Amino acid sequence: MSSASTVPVTEVAEAGDVVTPRDGRPPNAPKNAFWKHRSLYLMILPGVAYFLVFKYLPMGGLVIAFQNYLPFLGFTGSEWVGLDHFVRLFTEDTFFVLLRNTLVISALLLLFAFPMPIVLALLLNEVRTRFFKKTVQTIVYLPHFMSWVIIVSIFYVMLSIDGGSINNLIVASGGEAIPFLTDPDWLRPMYVFQEIWRGTGWGTIVYLAAITAVDEQLYEAAELDGAGRLRQTWHITLPAIRPTIIVMLILSIGDIMELGFEHMFLVMNSLNREVAEIFDTYVYTAGIQNGQLGYAAAVGLFKGLVGLILVVLANRSAKKFGEEGVY
Amino acid sequence: MRNTRAGAFVAMSTAITLSLTACSAGDPASEAEEVSTKDSITWMAMLHTATTPEADGVIETELEEYTGLGIEMQWVPDASKDEKINAALASDSLADLVSLTNITNTTVRQAMASGQFWDVEPYLADYPNLSKIPQDTLDSAKIDGTLYGVPYQKPIARYGVLVRQDWLDNLGLEVPHTIEDLTEVARAFSEDDPDGNGQDDTVGFYDRAESYLVGFRSLAGYFGAGQSFEVTDDGEVVPTFTTEPFMEAMEWYRGVHENGWMNEEFVTVQKQNQKDGIAQGKGGIVISGLFEAKNFYEAALAADPQTPMAWALVNDMTYDDVDRRVLTDTNGGMGGWLAVPRSQVTTEADLRVVLGFVDKLMDEEPFDLMTNGIEGVHYELDADGVVKMLDNTTWEQEVQPFSSSRPSELVKTFNTSSEYTNLANQLMAENAEYVVVNPAQSLTSKTYDAQWSTIQQQVNDAYNQYMMGQIEMADFEKVVDGLGSQGLDQIVAEFTESYEKANG
Repeated sequence: MSSASTVPVTEVAEAGDVVTPRDGRPPNAPKNAFWKHRSLYLMILPGVAYFLVFKYLPMGGLVIAFQNYLPFLGFTGSEWVGLDHFVRLFTEDTFFVLLRNTLVISALLLLFAFPMPIVLALLLNEVRTRFFKKTVQTIVYLPHFMSWVIIVSIFYVMLSIDGGSINNLIVASGGEAIPFLTDPDWLRPMYVFQEIWRGTGWGTIVYLAAITAVDEQLYEAAELDGAGRLRQTWHITLPAIRPTIIVMLILSIGDIMELGFEHMFLVMNSLNREVAEIFDTYVYTAGIQNGQLGYAAAVGLFKGLVGLILVVLANRSAKKFGEEGVY
Repeated sequence: MRNTRAGAFVAMSTAITLSLTACSAGDPASEAEEVSTKDSITWMAMLHTATTPEADGVIETELEEYTGLGIEMQWVPDASKDEKINAALASDSLADLVSLTNITNTTVRQAMASGQFWDVEPYLADYPNLSKIPQDTLDSAKIDGTLYGVPYQKPIARYGVLVRQDWLDNLGLEVPHTIEDLTEVARAFSEDDPDGNGQDDTVGFYDRAESYLVGFRSLAGYFGAGQSFEVTDDGEVVPTFTTEPFMEAMEWYRGVHENGWMNEEFVTVQKQNQKDGIAQGKGGIVISGLFEAKNFYEAALAADPQTPMAWALVNDMTYDDVDRRVLTDTNGGMGGWLAVPRSQVTTEADLRVVLGFVDKLMDEEPFDLMTNGIEGVHYELDADGVVKMLDNTTWEQEVQPFSSSRPSELVKTFNTSSEYTNLANQLMAENAEYVVVNPAQSLTSKTYDAQWSTIQQQVNDAYNQYMMGQIEMADFEKVVDGLGSQGLDQIVAEFTESYEKANG
């Protein structure tokens, strides 16, 4: 929006034949505008500097994806290998395993973990006792502040076969111990469950904020028309927070390849690796353990590009369906 | 992930900045004969404790006094040593003396092979302590036949079998010295209620996730398997997991697991879980460093001052007609290198100062300082010369950080007030005679450097799957066969060639 209005002004200034500025501003308006809003520019400076220094400048390091990078030879001394790393990535069998594992888990997360905060937020919204509502909110936020190490450890203590409480219960009630931690079939349910346990409470914040913005009069009007709680939720609350849901969905879709290293690394072991190895853990193995920094950077770059494409596509389709999108 | 990656980028960009600013031309090479004016040393060393000792603390001051050189320590937390060393190498910001303790770090090996560090071998003979480093240790520290740093000397083989002595006594069993007896003990520990509490809550072996690399590796050694690699009769250097004894050991160990004589889900057990489980009396047989008996006992004691726990330390386990042997767990007594980077120490005269410093640290007095601390402050000697720690907290803060940087741990053995420590020291010394080392350690293979971790991990996974009954021996062999095309054949060929070059 802003670029659309500034472009003509610049053109005019460049042409140098300014006679009558359209909006009545003096010819040196851009400079004055800058000076006039200097405090605003000053305020934005740290943010811009942050992104330049910590987000854009390091992107230069991506050149190592095209190099056989060796730290002591540096960027300039390392051998250029073109697209070799990418060729290797796409031709190795592991690629499809990684892609499958990453996509399956992301899909499960979108299907099961994504709607959870919405449901919980709607439920919380219906709670009328203020004290109870606040208490529940605080409690469900709590898991978000625990690190994955703690969470996985807690689950480990409960799910282990060697004296885990859940398996003790199962055995005591006549069942057979279930190897939750090592059976490949159990990895995905366990992973998704842990994600839900940790993230649901925190995820409600956005939706609860969106719900507070809904006009109270709508509810009153609906009530007069005889709509019950359920109908109010379905016809007023949900449509009102739809833009928020869409934005969150777009962001989630952008993260499809970004499951995160820590959680998976902690629950992965030799026996469930075939379904657990994802791009993030593979980058660690290949890059940090094997010292193939260039190759690892190529994998990371590929992952980032796919994420970018997905965000753009999701945003487009959101706009197509008449929603606002993220940009 | 986003954060981790950002972190990596920050580190990377910092490295760039550093390399740009640190790219000084360096002093012009001086004549070798020139007298060095170097009067202080910077030392990048690994920190194994939670906090760094004070700069110019008591131990550092004492060491400065003894060596006559100023010392500036640059402590690197051990857990992040690879990143730090990689970054320091990339940015040319190493110290005069650098402790390199991860000998399989690809970047370090490549930096060494490309001549970033001084070849110290020609100088060693001029120093009283350095000249006494055994040739075996020097050989195992070489890369492509060149010695790029003074090797850290550690006990060559520290592993053995720890068995709960009190459980043996309860069941009227003898201390096992053969695999056959050990198997029987494992059975009895699992089925005969060794702790006498009337519950089926104990097992024999208590292993952990690193079984393949640690506990089982050592067990396979008793069956006759080599340490990582071995040389066949026709001079081929092959990985030990392709050999007969290794697979025999696997079959035996799987039997132990199937019978329930070890903790079932060992693949999910981390080192600390293992220690806790043992301290809680869940298992009675551990394959580990012999010195761990003291730690297990103390952990149990901390939880229960009345603990009945007692350990039998076994260092002479044998199998069938295989002669007594033990695999090295310290790369053949070599805990890494004390390397001198050419970028920091530019002249031969300066190099001699640094080497002289390392040499002096191997005298008894500094060794004593870096092990026990200062008498009267950190420890006291009783009438029999037994070392007794005064205050463990002060020792951990001021002395312990230095103890892992001792160039040699073999200078002297102290008589301590812990009988397990004394016994372990004695048994580890006995091990030296029967030790088996990795013949490929000082050989070079580019493919090994690039591919070994991946290969190792696949074998490790297959081993775990076999142990847990997910796959059979034929599947394990198939996995190993499949590795040939992933670089294993190449590694064997390169190592064999390198071996011929070094020995032929």
